[in-house]
Amino acid sequence: MADFYQTGIITTLHKLGRSSLERLEVELQEHSRMRPVTLVLPALYSEFEGQAMPKIVEELAKVKYLQAIVLILGQASDKEFRKARDFMAPIPYEVKIIHNDGKRIREIYETIRRNGLDPGKDGKGRSAWLAYGYVIAGGKSYAIALHDCDILTYNREMLARLCYPVVNSNLDYVFCKGFYSRVTNKMHGRVTRLLVTPLVRSIQNLIGAHEFLTFLDSFRYPLAGEFCMTTDMARVNRIPWDWGLEVGSLAEVYRNYSPRRVCQVDIAETYEHKHQALSAEDPEKGLMKMTVDICKSLFRTLASDGVVFSDGFFKSLSVTYLRRAEDTITKYEADAAINGLTFDRHEEAKAVDSFTKALSLGAQAFLEDPLSMPLIPNWNRVTSAIPGILDMLKKAVDEDNR
Amino acid sequence: MGNFIQLILEPLKEVYLEFIKFLPKLLAMLIVVLIGIFAARVVRAVLMKFMKAIKFDSWSDRMGLTGVMRKGDLWAKPSVALGSIVYWVLIIVAVMAGLSALRLQAIDNLVSSFVLYLPRALSAVVILVFGYIVAGFIARAVLIAGVNKGYHYAKIVAEAIRLLLIVLILAMAMEQLQVAPSIVLAAFSIIFGGIVLTLSIAFGVGAIETVKKIIEKETAAKKEETKDEIEHI
Repeated sequence: MADFYQTGIITTLHKLGRSSLERLEVELQEHSRMRPVTLVLPALYSEFEGQAMPKIVEELAKVKYLQAIVLILGQASDKEFRKARDFMAPIPYEVKIIHNDGKRIREIYETIRRNGLDPGKDGKGRSAWLAYGYVIAGGKSYAIALHDCDILTYNREMLARLCYPVVNSNLDYVFCKGFYSRVTNKMHGRVTRLLVTPLVRSIQNLIGAHEFLTFLDSFRYPLAGEFCMTTDMARVNRIPWDWGLEVGSLAEVYRNYSPRRVCQVDIAETYEHKHQALSAEDPEKGLMKMTVDICKSLFRTLASDGVVFSDGFFKSLSVTYLRRAEDTITKYEADAAINGLTFDRHEEAKAVDSFTKALSLGAQAFLEDPLSMPLIPNWNRVTSAIPGILDMLKKAVDEDNR
Repeated sequence: MGNFIQLILEPLKEVYLEFIKFLPKLLAMLIVVLIGIFAARVVRAVLMKFMKAIKFDSWSDRMGLTGVMRKGDLWAKPSVALGSIVYWVLIIVAVMAGLSALRLQAIDNLVSSFVLYLPRALSAVVILVFGYIVAGFIARAVLIAGVNKGYHYAKIVAEAIRLLLIVLILAMAMEQLQVAPSIVLAAFSIIFGGIVLTLSIAFGVGAIETVKKIIEKETAAKKEETKDEIEHI
């Protein structure tokens, strides 16, 4: 069971006592009449062949408060698209599948591109963004929830807890991010534990208190991919298409909304999904690519908020970070020891070394090109450039699902 | 036996001679068609380059032409679609011109009716395309004006105007194509007249109170003016 400590400047909703899923779902059914919610699922076809997806579909089939599911399918042929549709058939309410590699959706991206807007490269960020566009085009949903399709420990309580703070009009949060412990026989979540938190605190150490850093540090799991937000937010927020997706999205939430309307919720006792390889030698792959993108996203967000970065600053930051990350390893070693978890100190130290290298690469990329933000324009911007784009998107998806 | 063979060969010989006479015409037709195909390809390529230079696709996206295509489940680029239309029209023209080289009465009649019909078809396309753009422009102007004035039903009014204009444009295009002109005219008169009448009645009935207030106000103002004419000594 978790403690009840409130972290930082956002609200933390803990998992306290015995929470009842039935009660939550009944309340959600009531509230969703006024505030309909759509679930967005970014998925690759390979995930339909994995272990997680059957369980996710089985659980989602029991959910009664969702208005619709919008699954955006990547890396799939036309035949695989049809298979995915059959796979989702047991769900008894509306399920729309966006065929990301289909000719109609490709033409949508092309239309956006030829009008001078860049929808970015293929990835989770762009997929989620397109799915939001479809939900906005439908004009029926008050809120959008999103989670990945590789969660091995999925149960529908996760979704209920994620949606509740936004859908419940008495609470009226505009954004709710999930958090959970990523523990099996050992601790996972290296990038959050050993990069993001020590880095954020190191920057705070160097530049002093900064509201965005405080905001970011308030999240227990800032890189969690599960969240729920209002559809209005999906319309105004820009989304990064690279691995800086989570940090960049939080930066947009911070920029457009008061932290008082932002919360995080404990959605699961344990959470298990696929793990990325560290790929220490190749900064274009695996966790290294992810960490470089996260660092760049963080620096660019802070720079856009007036923080001045220089070569000297980054040298100090590398040293400060390394020291702080090493201290963090010591803390987690103790945590693992008391809980009887396997803890490979050498592996953790190697990860920190790689992250320090990634930090330098991120800093170098930032200094070379501080303006290059991999942000997809928000839907307000896109519709002002191409007034009929949402209707086109809706038509494309509806035709694909016919 | 010799006569019998002669009997068989004679018609074949005649057919052969006719064919020899016909062959230059056939060759002329093939050459005309091939030149036509070549010309159509060149025209399409030039047209595509021109449309790329003037950013036709982007213009179509903003003007709503792409939206109309998508509504019809057509997912090609507008420039590609227009290029294909021009290409196929030229191919049809080339085939017609080629067929006319055969100098056959029936085909000549067909070609001349096609040639006569072509300007009508082109005008109908122009009416449809520009009409749609103008309808969209007017509907948008009405929407903006309505929203700026604070009318609650600005969108409905704008859409109603768009619908009316599209009915008008369709009727004009059909009339141009000479597709059952009397029926189209009658149907248009009934639909357009019906819509206008409905709107008039709806507006009239809905505005009774407002008009009453305006008239009362006007009358009151006149009375006030009459009173002012009396001067106190």
